Amino acid sequence: MQNLSELMRRLVLSRVEFVLVGGFAAVAHGVTLVTRDVDICCRFSEANLMLIQQAFAELHPVHRSRPDLPLQLTPEQCSRLKNLYLKTDLGVVDCLGEVLGIGNYEEVLINSVEVELPYGKCRILDIDALVRAKEAMNRNHDKITVMLLKKIKEQQT
Amino acid sequence: MPGERDNEEMVLQETSTAQVADAEDIDLLLLKDSLAKTPWERMQANDDALNFGESLRAAMQKSHAKLK
Repeated sequence: MQNLSELMRRLVLSRVEFVLVGGFAAVAHGVTLVTRDVDICCRFSEANLMLIQQAFAELHPVHRSRPDLPLQLTPEQCSRLKNLYLKTDLGVVDCLGEVLGIGNYEEVLINSVEVELPYGKCRILDIDALVRAKEAMNRNHDKITVMLLKKIKEQQT
Repeated sequence: MPGERDNEEMVLQETSTAQVADAEDIDLLLLKDSLAKTPWERMQANDDALNFGESLRAAMQKSHAKLK
């Protein structure tokens, strides 16, 4: 059974260093499209990746493109991974080392805002950076998202 | 087995750098997951996504209100 809030709660409570990016960041800013997977940009250090592994440990995490491979990271793997595409019992989480149009985790962090969720604080990519990222991705659904984000910005000013 | 482990590491590197979408930028893995669900399960997943999105939107509005 999908439960994306629980996935987020586990990330926050496990003190994973991450910024919410992608479709749900757009939804947070007011976009009305529906999305399915949680995309986060995170620090790809061994310590942080191990926190992610720990956060989802009870949820049978596997690599999304190879569901036969459970998430069992080693320090060597952590040092070489660029992204982690995960599937858990509660839903899909894509962990990205960088965001196209923005840069690595540090850049993403600078371009994020903090919000208070019922279980703790979390950072979300800010609206201007999200527009830049979506414009850089330039897929069909990104174009629609950019149009909506720009409308939302107009409404806010 | 060390050989198996090496193979797994290679696969991991490939999956780590690969795109999960097809040539038309459609995430086929997500689509496959969706098709594996019953219509009722898809509706429940949709509800869950909407509820999660709503909680994020509410948190964002609250943070905007604080800034003002």
